[in-house]
Amino acid sequence: MNPEELLAKIANCVERGKVNKTSPYPPDLKGQDGADELSAQALVEGIAADQVLSLGLVPGMQIVGVKFRENKVFVPEVLMAAKAMSAGMKHLKPYFTSGAVKRKGIFIIGTVMGDLHDIGKNLLGMIVEGAGWQVVDLGIDVPAAKFIAAVDEYPGAYVGLSCLLTTTMLNMEKIVTEMKAARPDTKILIGGAPVTDDFRKRIGADWYSPDPQGAVEFLNKVG
Amino acid sequence: MKGKDLVLHALKGGQCSTIPWVPFVGVHGGHLIGKNANEYLHSADLMVNGISKAIELYEPDGIPVCFDLQIEAEALGCKLGWADENPPAVLSHPLSGLSNISSLNPISPDQGRIPVVLKATRELRKKYPDIALYGLVTGPFTLGLHLLGTEIFMRMFEDPASIHELLDFTSGVTRSMSKYLLDAGCDIIAVVDPMTSQIGPDQFTEFIHKPVKSVFDDIRQQSKYSSFFVCGHAQQNIDVMCKTGPDNISIDENIPLDFVRNICQGYGISFGGNLQLTLVMLMGTPEDCQRNAVDCMDIAGNIGFILAPGCDLPMKTPIANLKAVGSVIRDSYQQDIIRTLEHKPDKTKILNLGEYGKTDRVIVDIITLDSESCAPCQYMVEAVKEVAPHFEGLVEWHEHSIKNLEGVTFMSSLFVKNIPTICIDGKITFVSQIPPRNELIRAIQSRINEKLKIRLRVKQGEILLLGKSSEEIAPLREKTRQAIAELGVTIEVREETDPLIIQSLGVTQTPALVSVKYKIRSEAGQPGTDVIKEWIKEII
Repeated sequence: MNPEELLAKIANCVERGKVNKTSPYPPDLKGQDGADELSAQALVEGIAADQVLSLGLVPGMQIVGVKFRENKVFVPEVLMAAKAMSAGMKHLKPYFTSGAVKRKGIFIIGTVMGDLHDIGKNLLGMIVEGAGWQVVDLGIDVPAAKFIAAVDEYPGAYVGLSCLLTTTMLNMEKIVTEMKAARPDTKILIGGAPVTDDFRKRIGADWYSPDPQGAVEFLNKVG
Repeated sequence: MKGKDLVLHALKGGQCSTIPWVPFVGVHGGHLIGKNANEYLHSADLMVNGISKAIELYEPDGIPVCFDLQIEAEALGCKLGWADENPPAVLSHPLSGLSNISSLNPISPDQGRIPVVLKATRELRKKYPDIALYGLVTGPFTLGLHLLGTEIFMRMFEDPASIHELLDFTSGVTRSMSKYLLDAGCDIIAVVDPMTSQIGPDQFTEFIHKPVKSVFDDIRQQSKYSSFFVCGHAQQNIDVMCKTGPDNISIDENIPLDFVRNICQGYGISFGGNLQLTLVMLMGTPEDCQRNAVDCMDIAGNIGFILAPGCDLPMKTPIANLKAVGSVIRDSYQQDIIRTLEHKPDKTKILNLGEYGKTDRVIVDIITLDSESCAPCQYMVEAVKEVAPHFEGLVEWHEHSIKNLEGVTFMSSLFVKNIPTICIDGKITFVSQIPPRNELIRAIQSRINEKLKIRLRVKQGEILLLGKSSEEIAPLREKTRQAIAELGVTIEVREETDPLIIQSLGVTQTPALVSVKYKIRSEAGQPGTDVIKEWIKEII
């Protein structure tokens, strides 16, 4: 297999959610190598780590992001793709540490104070990570001070706020106000089931997207 | 028809002259009686008080007893995180990491908070025999997610048999819970399964169809009714949801109501929703809520439709907003007004009426929908028309129909919010109700008197009495008083003894009388210098 074919195969494994050889899903790839084995093989064959990332893993995840936006695939498929992506990524860890592979930037995410729901935030994290960004996940029930501290720790990072509950939208507003007062240059993205672009305008956040892919597009544009 | 009968009629797909109204009061019931979510969701008495208050305030046709999708999960061993303003969230998933689900036992009616909800149901049933009571149960997939965590999504691919087994178990829980609630007195079971919005129709058909259908079949066998509540982006699944055989489908604002209507009607299933929860119900004004309610009713039509918020009402949804929906739903006249006002003029078209009503005559404006077609408007116009001639030309009246853009602009400019309204000299005086003749006369007379007083108070001129001393002025003072009294006017009289001031007025011998007439030349404007010069010439 030449390098192009190998990278295309890695992308396909991520897109289809084929994690490794033993993974039963998808049925038509049963028994074949997954993103795990193929990424390791690519490195062994001398393909640069940053190429494995940018020409193999990331394009696969991008396709999934677009399909998700178009309602062609749903949460289960995205999670499978993310699982395959991370199986490939584990082989790239040493290169990130050494600096041989660079991320596009840092994205800090968290579910806002008072809200304990994490599915939406986790999905966003996986897809943004899959697009080549380093994701710092502050978890759930995160107050403004914790977001501000994280921005100080990762200068230049973008921040994503998630909420599921209608009531915690009001906390989202408070956090955006406090962050904009304390760190006016920080770009804040918001999302979550009850959130809309009208709401974003009202609270002064920088970007709203109804889906993770929209967040990726924004980050890639400004980052 | 109203209350339970109306809800059941709509639920069975019937045509309704009034649309049934079912506010999904959950922890909002706690807000109504000053209790936080934690206290409220642990007490049957508080639930009964909260729902009773909601029934009193919002006049619903149906209402849920309790809106908490964590009750079954808690009974099955999930740890909950409690908040003051929200239902609890599931923090631990007892099946996470386990390969089989045999560690869980079926639920019983005495577990966790189930007895609390059942007690509240029984008491509310007794207290409100004519209101449709909804019993909410957690749908099999959402309960499965509570028990297993997000692994459930990947296991659908990696270990589908275990998910079938899990959902078989959870649908048994949903069936049991439904039976407890029906036995306690609920009329309708709402199977709430929001997490199904996260999967596609193929996965829904493969994993969800059978477990959910078994719940609806079971409810039907008990001769009771069911609704399938799914909030979130579930548009892709409406068709497959219908195939599970509920009596009704209720959705939120993420899904266009006409889309749901078309699909549901194709299956002969009634539908409900989708008042906007956040921007409108929580953050909007009562007018916004009424407009949204009318929009929903217009799109849905009156066959097999139940008006309800998209999901559990946020705790602090303003009471006025919910009351506004409750009132507009039964008031077809108010609905007409909202439809007509839909195209509000933009702000640039608001007239500046600050100077309105300052003429000699009293102006009575009647803002109407249209006095020819709207009865209350007609009576209001007739009342004014009848009374006006009694004031012999002092009163001028106009009707402003908001069916014309001018009427709408005029209405907004006077900040009128209700139709019909009578404004007297630009001031909102009678709102919605037609004033009795005497009251209308009194209001107009009082404005005439007010204007007269203003006129009398206005300083039109003054008399200056000049002399070396008060004694010297005395005879002149007496004659002036008499003259004013004989004329019956009000005019200020000032006395001046300062020789320098007397001199400045051009008077050389005292006692003397100077009359001064004031004339307003300009108000709230900037006349040009040339104009001012002309005025000066008149007084020199």
